[in-house]
Amino acid sequence: MTQAIHSEKPAAGFTRPLLLSPAQDWGGWLLGEAGRAVLLTITGTSVLAVLLIFVFIIRQAWPFFQSQGLTEALGSTKWYPQAQGQAQFGMLALIFGSLYVTAGALVLAVPIGILTAVVLSDIVPFRVRQAVKPIIEILAAIPSVAYGFFAVLVLAPLMQKHLGLSTGTNALNSAVMLAIMAIPTIVSVAEDSLWAVGRELREASYACGATRAETLLKVVIPAAHNGIIAAVVLGMMRAIGETMLVWMASGNACQIPSPWWDLTQSVRTMTATIAGEMGETPKGSTHYHALFAVGLMLLTFSLVLNLATEYLLHRAKRSSGGHA
Amino acid sequence: MRTTWQAAMWVVLAAFLGGMPGSAVGGDEKEKTSLQIEGSTTVGPIADEFTEAFKKLHPEITITVKKTGSGDGIAALIDGRCPIATSSRFMKGDEFKKAVEKGVTPVAHAIAMDGVCIVVHPSNPIKAMKTEQVKDIYTGKITNWKELGGADKPIVVISRDTSSGTYESFTNFVMGKDKMFEKVEYVNSNPQAHSRVSTTEGAIGYVGLGFVDEKVKALEMNGVAPNRKTVQSGQYPFSRPLFLFTNGYPDLGSAVHAFCTFYLTEKGQEIIEAKGFVPVTNY
Amino acid sequence: MNVPLRQSADKVFTALALLSVVLVAAALVGILLPMMWRGGSAVVFRGTVEFRRMQLEQFNRGDSAAVRAEVEEAAKIRQRAFEILDGFAAGLDTSELETKVKQLHREFGVQIANRDIPQAQATELRKLSKELRDGLLSALEAGSKDQALSHLDEVLSHAGDGRLKGTLASTYFDLARKYHNTLTTVDLNRRGEYAESLKQVMEAMKNLFGPPSGERLPAVTMEQYGATRWDQATQHLDRLLWAETWAGSGEGRTLAKSRVPREEQFAGTELAELFPYVRNNIQAMLRPQWTFYWRYFTDDSMSGHYFGGVGPEVLGTLLVTVLAIAFALPVGVVAAAYLVECARDSLATRVLRMCVNTLAGVPSIVFGLFGLAFFVIYLLPKLGLREGSSILAGALTLALLVLPVIIRASEEAIRTVPRAYKEASMALGASRFRCFVTVTLPAAAPGILTGLILSMSRAAGETAPILFTAAVAMGPVPTSLSQPTRTLSYSSYDMAVGDKMAMLAPHNQFGMVMTLVAIVLLLNIVAIMLRGRMSKKLRGQ
Repeated sequence: MTQAIHSEKPAAGFTRPLLLSPAQDWGGWLLGEAGRAVLLTITGTSVLAVLLIFVFIIRQAWPFFQSQGLTEALGSTKWYPQAQGQAQFGMLALIFGSLYVTAGALVLAVPIGILTAVVLSDIVPFRVRQAVKPIIEILAAIPSVAYGFFAVLVLAPLMQKHLGLSTGTNALNSAVMLAIMAIPTIVSVAEDSLWAVGRELREASYACGATRAETLLKVVIPAAHNGIIAAVVLGMMRAIGETMLVWMASGNACQIPSPWWDLTQSVRTMTATIAGEMGETPKGSTHYHALFAVGLMLLTFSLVLNLATEYLLHRAKRSSGGHA
Repeated sequence: MRTTWQAAMWVVLAAFLGGMPGSAVGGDEKEKTSLQIEGSTTVGPIADEFTEAFKKLHPEITITVKKTGSGDGIAALIDGRCPIATSSRFMKGDEFKKAVEKGVTPVAHAIAMDGVCIVVHPSNPIKAMKTEQVKDIYTGKITNWKELGGADKPIVVISRDTSSGTYESFTNFVMGKDKMFEKVEYVNSNPQAHSRVSTTEGAIGYVGLGFVDEKVKALEMNGVAPNRKTVQSGQYPFSRPLFLFTNGYPDLGSAVHAFCTFYLTEKGQEIIEAKGFVPVTNY
Repeated sequence: MNVPLRQSADKVFTALALLSVVLVAAALVGILLPMMWRGGSAVVFRGTVEFRRMQLEQFNRGDSAAVRAEVEEAAKIRQRAFEILDGFAAGLDTSELETKVKQLHREFGVQIANRDIPQAQATELRKLSKELRDGLLSALEAGSKDQALSHLDEVLSHAGDGRLKGTLASTYFDLARKYHNTLTTVDLNRRGEYAESLKQVMEAMKNLFGPPSGERLPAVTMEQYGATRWDQATQHLDRLLWAETWAGSGEGRTLAKSRVPREEQFAGTELAELFPYVRNNIQAMLRPQWTFYWRYFTDDSMSGHYFGGVGPEVLGTLLVTVLAIAFALPVGVVAAAYLVECARDSLATRVLRMCVNTLAGVPSIVFGLFGLAFFVIYLLPKLGLREGSSILAGALTLALLVLPVIIRASEEAIRTVPRAYKEASMALGASRFRCFVTVTLPAAAPGILTGLILSMSRAAGETAPILFTAAVAMGPVPTSLSQPTRTLSYSSYDMAVGDKMAMLAPHNQFGMVMTLVAIVLLLNIVAIMLRGRMSKKLRGQ
């Protein structure tokens, strides 16, 4: 557009061109560039924020790595930050706990989320889709503390009563609640990418005599796989970064469950450890820095996941020919 | 239609932008008499109720109570961030040293007594235990109630989070140098420990004396049942005083002084009792 | 594969897919409904006369004369119940009697000292008092009924002594007679059991009706009133009428709960008539009435969160949220404008976009850590503010959290403004800046507003970022931005796990969460409606 207006000669009836080249109006050009620079600076706030976050988290975590080293942090499950004189900071159980509830949540949320997305994109009429999508977004909007509240006061006693578990605040409880929280994210991203596959592929498949299930499973979902994986990764990010819910619902036992597949045991996540202990830890102690180290690990996790999503979504966009 | 939106948009924008400069200032003029109290979650409820009583007695004093744990409260006192720290344990040696280095002279006011009660579900037939048995449960040596003569049920072990003063008292009383085993579940507060034990048949936990009611059963420790008398006299093995710490003895007549001596008044004692703790004197 | 099999596979797939939608819907309904329903009971409930008295005395609300009349009427009927209880308790609670007797001796001693009588006579009186005291004390401590009765008879034999007439000492005989009466009606061997049960009865009575009128008020506000709500009252009543005991069925077995009516437990004593009396008159004693307590949303709370509402929490949430948006909105809109209008596809833009996405992906608890390390400990003290959590620090932290949300929403909104608008304005000779401010921005305003509302709801609901930066569980209503505040989100957490008062008042636990969820939902619904209108307009309807 700009190129079009940058005409060499003034249009008929005008004494000046609509936009001048820098050589013709250096004052205006300078002003424009200055304005752009100001805008860029303000926009740069987010870059600055990201940088500051990394700098400050690393700065506070550094003393921990210096004094304890990475080997103990990543090689031990013994998290005894307050033991007098012999504190231990093994983060393995915490990392495992985070991954554990996240995996549990994904096992539940991914099939339900993708199927829901399929329903919205391919099964129900457009009108219904328009009505249902906002409702699913409402699920995403409910504050996590409310989910946690529900988990601890309603779901946990129910689980103890009806499943005969010895403890209601456990990995299963957190996984179920995390799944409910992750579903809206998964649905909306997956639905977008299913939608973006376009009519042609679907119609071609139907024309070959495929049923709806076959069309979806063998044509549409494979075609949209990048977007769907991105949806799953986004859901995973949501689950791994969730704090209040897991703090309230996971039981906070610092262990790797044995046998490892026993979801009904309590676990503790990285986020819950920070939330639970930071408020009560004297500033400047090793424990305090250790918690920042946990935070740094979380940050790294989310950064990696984020880059992965971006890469996948980028590929999804390219492979669908820029429709999305 | 558009103009309405436009107007709305500008109003919102103007309101927010207008709010911005005002936000940066306005931090200084509050120093009337405001008291910041930080520390123990156990002593917190007493401080809360004192605060409420103060609202009527001394309306000119505004008090903020932050319940972040004894260690943090003491650290805040040492850093000069608050004039009163609440704590459910006495200061540790290195905390004292740090305080003196920073020119703070901590003074302890023991305002009440509390017992750390070992509680189980009321359906549990076990009535009494020895310290060593509790220790064995928390270190994972005993994992089923039948080993103690109870029903054949796995023990669900509940502990307070590691930063709380109650946890520290418990480790001092019971654990000594040993560490809890990894299956111990951590909860964030006395009420949560109470509700976990009261809803879980095989559970064992520990709470302050004030949280013992008919929904949980407090065990006799080494032959002594926890109650007002045994806690006050120190007969019950897991009794502890609760403290307020100040920097030096507070100036007489100051708000800090009024707060730190409130526990001596009849009303203060009554509040302490109503909150489930044991007053240090018989009023 | 044959066709019928393929078709049924198709049906199964469709059914599974629909089932998953139903599951999602069920989750939404199953979580929201109980929370809203039980939370609603904090606002709409059957309030008793105690509630109206509390409102009158604590909040200065309601028709004073009418409430007083009501209280008096209820008190009249309660009177009898307290009398029965006192009569029985006086004889049973020996430790209280003991203190009373000892005190009496001391007071009598003072009385003698103040009287103008010869020294010898005073000594004699004191000796007699001591004798009476010891007699009574040994009666109280006596192991068997006969022993106790003989001690009491000995005490009572002095009843006719003329020297004691009109002095405090005559109270000795009242006490002795009362205890005599108790001994003849109550089985001494069951006294321990009675005492335990009686404690529960007294507790339940206190919870139901508060302190009896005329007695000194307790220091703690919540103990000055009985059950303020009918649902609470029925629970306390249940505890008053039924004894819950745990009895064993053998060595090493789990104990089983059994419920025994207290009438049976106290059968044959004078206390037995208390229970039918309370059961039959409970309505008249408490006078429940449907109450719509809308001030729940504006009232401060008392005694933890036992009485009152969530006013300060709502205020704190709004303050923090609005402030956060105030910081984030200008930056967000400018950033979006830059990304759409000015940015070429350069490395800088790509880095920018990546940063926005990274920011969006940072876990909220890490924002909390950052807020603590940067705003609370580093930046704000440098600006001369007190170190420690404050509304300002919380708002700044939340601003960073919602910044990517605002940028993305605004970007989307600006991008969807039809090209024709811009071209038309530029064709009229407007500069780019002018075009943006007068044409693009107003056209994108609804979209930006939607993003703003959504990020408000996000900020209002977040807890982790303000845990260490702004929130306290209890505290005064803030008067400046450098003070910490209570917020709905943090208080919801605190009430779910950290507050003993809340354990006693579950309606307030749910009420807090309900208020939070209601605010967030309201904001979301507004945003959704706004978006609906917007897309309609863009479609040209």
